[in-house]
Amino acid sequence: MKDCCNFSKNIPVEFKVFTQTGDYVLLMLRVFTKPQKARIFWQRLMDEIQGLGIESIGIVAFISAFMGAVVAIQTAYNIDSPFVPLSAVGFTVRQSVILEFSPTVISLILAGKVGSRIASEIGTMRVTEQIDALEIMGVNSANYLIFPKVVALLLINPVLIVLSMWMGILGGWLAMSGFGLVTTTDYVDGIRLDFEAYTIFYSLMKTLFFAFIISTISGFYGYKTNGGALEVGQASTKAVVVSSILIILFNLVLTQLFLT
Amino acid sequence: MIEAKEVDKSFGEHHVLKNISCSFEKGKTNLIIGQSGSGKTVLMKCLVGLYEVDHGRIIYDDRNFSEMDFEQRKNLRQEIGMLFQGGALFDYMTVEENVMFPLNMFTHQTKEEKLDRVNFVLKRVNLENVNRLMPSELSGGMRKRVAIARAISMNPKYLFCDEPNSGLDPQTSGVIDQLINEITKEYGITTIVNTHDMNSVLSIGDNVAFIYNGELWWNGNKNTILHTENKELNEFVFGTELTSRLKR
Repeated sequence: MKDCCNFSKNIPVEFKVFTQTGDYVLLMLRVFTKPQKARIFWQRLMDEIQGLGIESIGIVAFISAFMGAVVAIQTAYNIDSPFVPLSAVGFTVRQSVILEFSPTVISLILAGKVGSRIASEIGTMRVTEQIDALEIMGVNSANYLIFPKVVALLLINPVLIVLSMWMGILGGWLAMSGFGLVTTTDYVDGIRLDFEAYTIFYSLMKTLFFAFIISTISGFYGYKTNGGALEVGQASTKAVVVSSILIILFNLVLTQLFLT
Repeated sequence: MIEAKEVDKSFGEHHVLKNISCSFEKGKTNLIIGQSGSGKTVLMKCLVGLYEVDHGRIIYDDRNFSEMDFEQRKNLRQEIGMLFQGGALFDYMTVEENVMFPLNMFTHQTKEEKLDRVNFVLKRVNLENVNRLMPSELSGGMRKRVAIARAISMNPKYLFCDEPNSGLDPQTSGVIDQLINEITKEYGITTIVNTHDMNSVLSIGDNVAFIYNGELWWNGNKNTILHTENKELNEFVFGTELTSRLKR
């Protein structure tokens, strides 16, 4: 089993990106199969939604609220022309939060929090032979361990991102009304100005792509861990770095794709 | 019976197993012994299919494991139980959930039936009232016993034990050895134990295969091993201060 998806060993560094892509694809072919027992899959899915999603609500809400507040304050202090209405603050917060901050920056934060958790959890199972134990029992370990995490993130990340949008806009409003920079009426007018529902669709589509990247890349690096505690740490770091890079790259591609 | 026929395995340039042919009999405790790095763990992993052999065949009671596809192997693996060096218990499950895991995955028993089976196998390995404990709350010996309980929960035909005594004191090691031996005889299992513990060899070694530098160097049993003229095996068997004094 280990041999089947391990082309990367003894390969020159310059080719590793190709062999690792091959390993990744082979692993995903094992991940995306029908779960062996539906009841166990649902049980694991609920656990993953709790562990990867519900437990991230606090950090997502906190960061979003403060980022929304900072964007609002920055905008308010930089409007020095009398021709620019104060409602521009609400407009700017809404656009930056919905279009980029919530889907991209929060996904990067989740790549760190959730990605390292996935990679270290699966990596530890690998080095303590728990994955071998699953294989010996006849369980498709890749499917059993990674598939529920992928589905959980695809389901819960859009919820987290919508929450993040709300918290960002709320944070902006609290900062404006708290510091008395913009009235609630102006802020809300800005939020409503030229709103297009498509931006939400665009944002959530990006979120789904990013959730897929985080879960599969982290699962891949965890599953491929070989060695001991040091390698688990390295796998966790690689998972976060590679997920983050891919999120940034795909953000550019998807933005171009969806907004043209 | 499990047979390895002309098995070769390399990792890059490193030729780990060289043309190994041996058989492991039903109802007996078959031991694979050898120094660290001799290839005994690789041989065991080849036998259970965790590593693919480069050349040769693995036969389970006339079924050629090497030629099986994923589904066929999956079915065969439900007849296999394995005890790993560190126990390999699932950290996030209780003892009960660990032992019940194969039953949940592969049987359609009711919860009561599964619970009865779990309690039966836990009692068989002399563990009671530990159902709700997490693996982290268990001692090394208890972890090994839970792992044995999990390995036998599906009534396996074949039991593999990778260094079952590592990290255990001599007394607990003896208990684990006897438990493996009793279970093997009681249920007529083909058991293969990977070890470098001479106490295990002398107490439960019905059939002993000595691996040296990736080759099958010697084959015998616990009675013949002490009288062998094989130089490398003698160095291995009488390599410790205790055994060399006993020999003198």
